[in-house]
This record gives sequence, C-alpha cells and structure tokens, in this order.
Amino acid sequence: MTKRTYRNASVAALVLLFLLLSPLQDKIDLQRKQMGFEQRLLLMPGQIAGSLALGGFKGLAADLLWLQVEELFHSGQSHKMLPILRSVTFLQPKFITPWAVGGWHLSYNISVMAKDPNEKEAWIQAGVDFLKEGITYNPERYDLYFELGWTFYHKVKNYAEAVKYLELACKFPGPDYLPNVLAHAYEKNGQIDTAIETWREILRSGNSFGHLSPRHIHNLKTYGSTITPETPKKK
Amino acid sequence: METNEKAAALRIEGLTKIFHLGRNKNVVALDNLSLEIKEGEIFGLLGPNGSGKTTALKLVLGLLFPTSGQIEILGRDYQNIEVKNDIGYLPENPYYYRYLTGPEILTFYGRIFGMTKEIIKERKEKLLKLVGLYDQQHLSLKHFSKGMLERIGLAVAMLNDPKFLILDEPTTGLDPIGSRETRNLLLDMQAAGKTILLSSHYLSEIEKISNRVGILHQGKLLTLGTIPELMTQWKAEDIEDLFIKVIEWSKQS
Amino acid sequence: MVKAIVIAKNTFQESLRLRSYQIILVFALLLLGSSQLFSFLTPAEQLKMIKDVSLSGIEFFGMLLAIFASMTALRSEFETNTISTLFSKPLKRSDFILGKFLGMAMVITLSIIMMSVVFIGLILLKQRSFEISLFSALFLIWAEMLVIVAITLAVAAFASTAFTLIFVLFLFLVGHLTGYGLSMAERMKNPVMHVVARFFYKIIPNFENFAIRDQVVVGGTVPISYLLKTFGYGIIYAAIALIICLYFFRYREV
Repeated sequence: MTKRTYRNASVAALVLLFLLLSPLQDKIDLQRKQMGFEQRLLLMPGQIAGSLALGGFKGLAADLLWLQVEELFHSGQSHKMLPILRSVTFLQPKFITPWAVGGWHLSYNISVMAKDPNEKEAWIQAGVDFLKEGITYNPERYDLYFELGWTFYHKVKNYAEAVKYLELACKFPGPDYLPNVLAHAYEKNGQIDTAIETWREILRSGNSFGHLSPRHIHNLKTYGSTITPETPKKK
Repeated sequence: METNEKAAALRIEGLTKIFHLGRNKNVVALDNLSLEIKEGEIFGLLGPNGSGKTTALKLVLGLLFPTSGQIEILGRDYQNIEVKNDIGYLPENPYYYRYLTGPEILTFYGRIFGMTKEIIKERKEKLLKLVGLYDQQHLSLKHFSKGMLERIGLAVAMLNDPKFLILDEPTTGLDPIGSRETRNLLLDMQAAGKTILLSSHYLSEIEKISNRVGILHQGKLLTLGTIPELMTQWKAEDIEDLFIKVIEWSKQS
Repeated sequence: MVKAIVIAKNTFQESLRLRSYQIILVFALLLLGSSQLFSFLTPAEQLKMIKDVSLSGIEFFGMLLAIFASMTALRSEFETNTISTLFSKPLKRSDFILGKFLGMAMVITLSIIMMSVVFIGLILLKQRSFEISLFSALFLIWAEMLVIVAITLAVAAFASTAFTLIFVLFLFLVGHLTGYGLSMAERMKNPVMHVVARFFYKIIPNFENFAIRDQVVVGGTVPISYLLKTFGYGIIYAAIALIICLYFFRYREV
C-alpha cells in the first residue's frame, strides 16, 4: 500500500467511526437526561472544590464542602452554612443528607434565632421550599417527603399538608415508622377513620410498631385520639 | 541468470537517503549507493563514523525509508515483510528487555518469528552454547556486560536460521578472544551457505573474514572489491593504509 | 494477532516493573486506605465519603497510571533501541501497536482490580454488603482508562514525553467539560457558534459519559443498556485513537 492510499484509507476509517460515534453520543445524552444525570457547573474561584468540580470529581467536591457544613454547625455558625449547603446540593442534587439537614436547619435552628415573628415565618417557609426543591431532584425516594411532612406536622402544624407529604413518603420503601407518623397526622387532621385503618394496616403488615396498634385503635374509637385524657386524681 | 553464477543476496541500486532536519537543513546520509552482494559472500562495509554505514543497513532492513533507489533482498522486494523471515540482524550496541533472561529473550523473538515451541526450545539451547551463554541462563539481561549483550544479540540474529545476516559493528565490546570466536562463528555460517553483510570501523576484523569490502565516506561508496584487488589498485601496504588513501583521495576530489 | 499478543505480554511484564507505575499504585492504595480516617462523620456519611474518595481516587490514579505507563511503553522502545531489533523481524507495525494497546489494557485491568479489591474491602468492613451499582461505576472507570491508554499511545507515537503528558491531561479535563461548553455555546446568539460547538462536542472524547459514580454513590442504579452504550462509545473512540496512532507510526523511521 502506498503512503497516499494508506492515508486515504485511514481518513475514511476515521470519518466512518466519528459518524458512528455521533448518534451514539446523542443516545447517551438522552439516556443521561432520562436518568437525571444533569451536568451542573459550579465555579467557585479559589476553592479546591471548584477545581475538583471542574476535574469531574463533583462527588468529592460535595463531600469536602459537606465537611465544612458539619464544622460550621458544630461551631455554632449555622447561618454561614447556607451558601455552602446550596453548593453541595447544586453539585450533587441526589445527595439526600444536605437537603434534609438544610431544611431542618432553616425551619428549626435558624428560625428559632429570629426575633421578629415575620422573619421566623420566612425562615420556616425557606426550609419548606428547600425541601420541596430537594424533592424535585429525588422524587423516587421517601426521605425528603418524610422530612417535609414532618416539618408541616411538627413545626408548621399544617396537618393537611403533613398528610399529603407523609402519604407520598409511604409510597416508597422506607423505615417502619413512616406509616406510624402518617397515622398520627391523619389523627391530627381530623381523619380519625383513616387513622384507625392505618393502624390496622400497621398491625396486619407485621410492622415493628404493630404492638402499638391495638391501644391506638381503642383510644381513637373511644376518645377520638391516641392520647387518653388524664384520669382525674382521686382525692 | 547463468547457472554457474551465484544469485544476489542483496541488490542495491541508486540508493539515496536525505534527512530533512529543519528549514534548509538537509543531510545527505547516503548518496546514490549501488552494490550487489552474492549469496554465500561475506561483505564488509567500512567507513569512519558518520559515513552512512548504519544508514545503509537500516534502509535495507526497512527501518528507514529511502529518498530514492531500489533494494532487493534474496530476489524479493525489501518491503515484503516475509523477506524478514530470512534475515538476521544485530544492531550496533544491542539492547534488549532488561528483565528477561537469555532464554526468555530468544523465546520472545522466536514467537515473533512464529516459530513453534519445539523449534524454539531446540534452537535456544544450541545457540546459547554457541555464543557461550549457556551457563548464564538464569541471569537477567540487566546483569549482562556489553560483551554478553553482543553475544546474546548474535544469538537473536541467528535464531531464525537466516539466509542473510546483517551485523552492525559485531565485535564492539568484545575482547580479542571474543572477537576471534565471533569471527570463527561467522566463517562457519558462511560455510553453511549464509550471506553476511557486516559493517565495522575495525579494519583488521573486516580484513580477516570479508571476501569483498566497500569503503563509504560521507554517504558515497568510494571503492569496492576484494582486499588484494584494492591493495593493488590503491598501492596500499595494509588495510589501514588502503583506508587512509581512499579517504584522502575522496577529500581531495 | 498472535504476534500482537506476544508484544502485549511483554509490554505487560515490562510495565509492572516500572518504578513510576509502582509508586503511583502505592499512592492509590494509601489514599483508599486513608478514607478510613473520617471517623468523626456519621456512619452513613463516612460510607459516602469512602465511596467518593475511593472511586475518585481509582479514576484519578488509574488515569495517571494509564498515561505514564502507556507513554513509557512506547518511548522506551525508542530510547533503548529495542525497536530496531523488533522491526527487523517479520512484525507488522499494526501488530506492534495493537500489542502495546492490549498490554496496557492488561496493566490497567490489573491496576483497577487491585484498587477495587481494597475499595470493596473497605466497604464490606463498614456495611457488610456491596451494591452491584458500584461495580457499574468501576466498569465504566475501566472503560474510560482504555480510551486514555489509546489516546496516550496515539500522541506518544509522534510527540515528546512532556507534550504527551500535558496534552492527555488537558484532554482529560476538557473531556469532562464538553457538555458545559456546548450548553454555554448554545446560549450564544451566533448560530455559527452552535455549529462549531456541536462539532467539537462530537469530536472531543466525552469522558463525562463514563461518570456515573456521583449518582451511584448516593444509591442510584444504572441500567445495563447505558453501560453497553458507553462501553461501545469507549471502544469506538479507542479505535479512532489507535488508527491515528498507527497512521503516525506506520511510516515512522526507527
């Protein structure tokens, strides 16, 4: 084969292979999108995290930032955590812990520090919004539905919303206490019959909290609540 | 071809090699070289350092590509890869994979030739004894002296029982006894019908075994013939004198 | 093909003896071990840390090993002149290049297996089970390294050691950012930029395809169809690099 022929054959082979590659890349891109593997660029000049993120080691960058969050919390500087939390969730939106912990910090620890009631409300709402955002990236897991449901139940005391999110949490594999908390939320939301039915299901399914069911069902039927009224003290 | 005339083991015609080293910097390493080596001949290529000896050998082996000219080895185009099954090559300052032992090196190259295990085994033993490295079988090449490397190189060159041996400075690094052993080996190979092309700047070595010699200088073949012919032609007393006279003449013309 | 395997075996054995290879491997194993130090985190966080550090480490050190060992595999033949003896034998240049690639593939495979064994050991120490999805991440890291080997051989076929190292490292970085580059270019108004960006996106190896560990580490799974597509991408790109390598090598004087 002459040099020229060889060159032409090589070029032809390369063109053919690149032509094969192009549609394959498109298919890969599509599947990545479907799987939620978005590419997110975070430029943090001067930080190790920045160069690591750019080097393709986003998970490691998220971990390093997460370590900083831990340290700030333990040293009582929770308010400094927020931008870093944001970075961690930006780099690795499927990393559940920052969403859960972030939501908790906003609705609980930071709101408690605010003196103005309106400001308190705003921080609690910020926590709720943060968790809702986390859910959009992790819609197939119980974790953040539960966190949000719990926030509505315990902090916001909006039991209708609590029920809504706890129901969603129970749709996915999760720990045994999920239906337990949902049953309490039904109760608080005035859905006594649904609460009773839930406790029955907890018992039937062999849930580890099943031993509580008979008592709770009895109390709900008798008092409309799982908490019995105080027996007046005998004089 | 007449029946009483030996076939050409190597035929070179108008071989030129120009190295382009940069803008307007060209080096003519070989200038219009033509020569023929008959089968069964030992041909010595002489010349000072930088005369083009190694370039010529590398062109024949297809390690370098000619700027112009034709090369035919054993009647076939030199670019035909099958021709290499019949060639043995010993480079200048041979070097092999350090972590291998002598037998392992021979096995490696044997497999490159596509030789069977049995043939490799048989030849390995024979060759190691021939080059005097049989007792150092377990030594890896990183512990070999220069002389030992030359000897294993010779074994590698002879591994495929080649018809045509090309040796670049085969006695470099060998002591007088080693040199004599190598010379005797080459004469034995010639007796077995092999053709040998060797290049050297050790004039006395070449004189002792070559049937014909050619003297290269600055890429040009200055003279070619048997040593007695050349001595007469150039009125030289010995080979050293011949060499100097030829080089001087070339410098003047 | 048989001769390519002879070259491959020799390349494999030579590479394992390289000082630079051994040093990089030791560092890699030390790094993996060091992820045990994060005991102040919760067990779940520590597990995530081990997974992130280990997989990132395996990829990073795998890349260094791939580049250094591949570069040396080719350059050393020239520096020691073993190449002139090789090509004086009936050995096609294509068999030589293929053999170098296969030899390096064996080196990378062994390296990744060694690092993976340590990684799996660390995970089992912590949680007594190992998610199958983590194997997917290791598989794609391996595939990515094969592409890097092929690219390194291609560049080393005509360039100096320093250039090869810098170029391949640079390509590794750029290869992780092509997606970003494309999305940034597509936000520009100039349609010519879109075409140019799209062209470069398709030409430059997209190493981000192989990046699934960030998702796998937080419990995500990856379907086999994705693994096959990406592996196919890797093989095609490696073939492209090897064709380029052979093109430069075939008429290279020795």
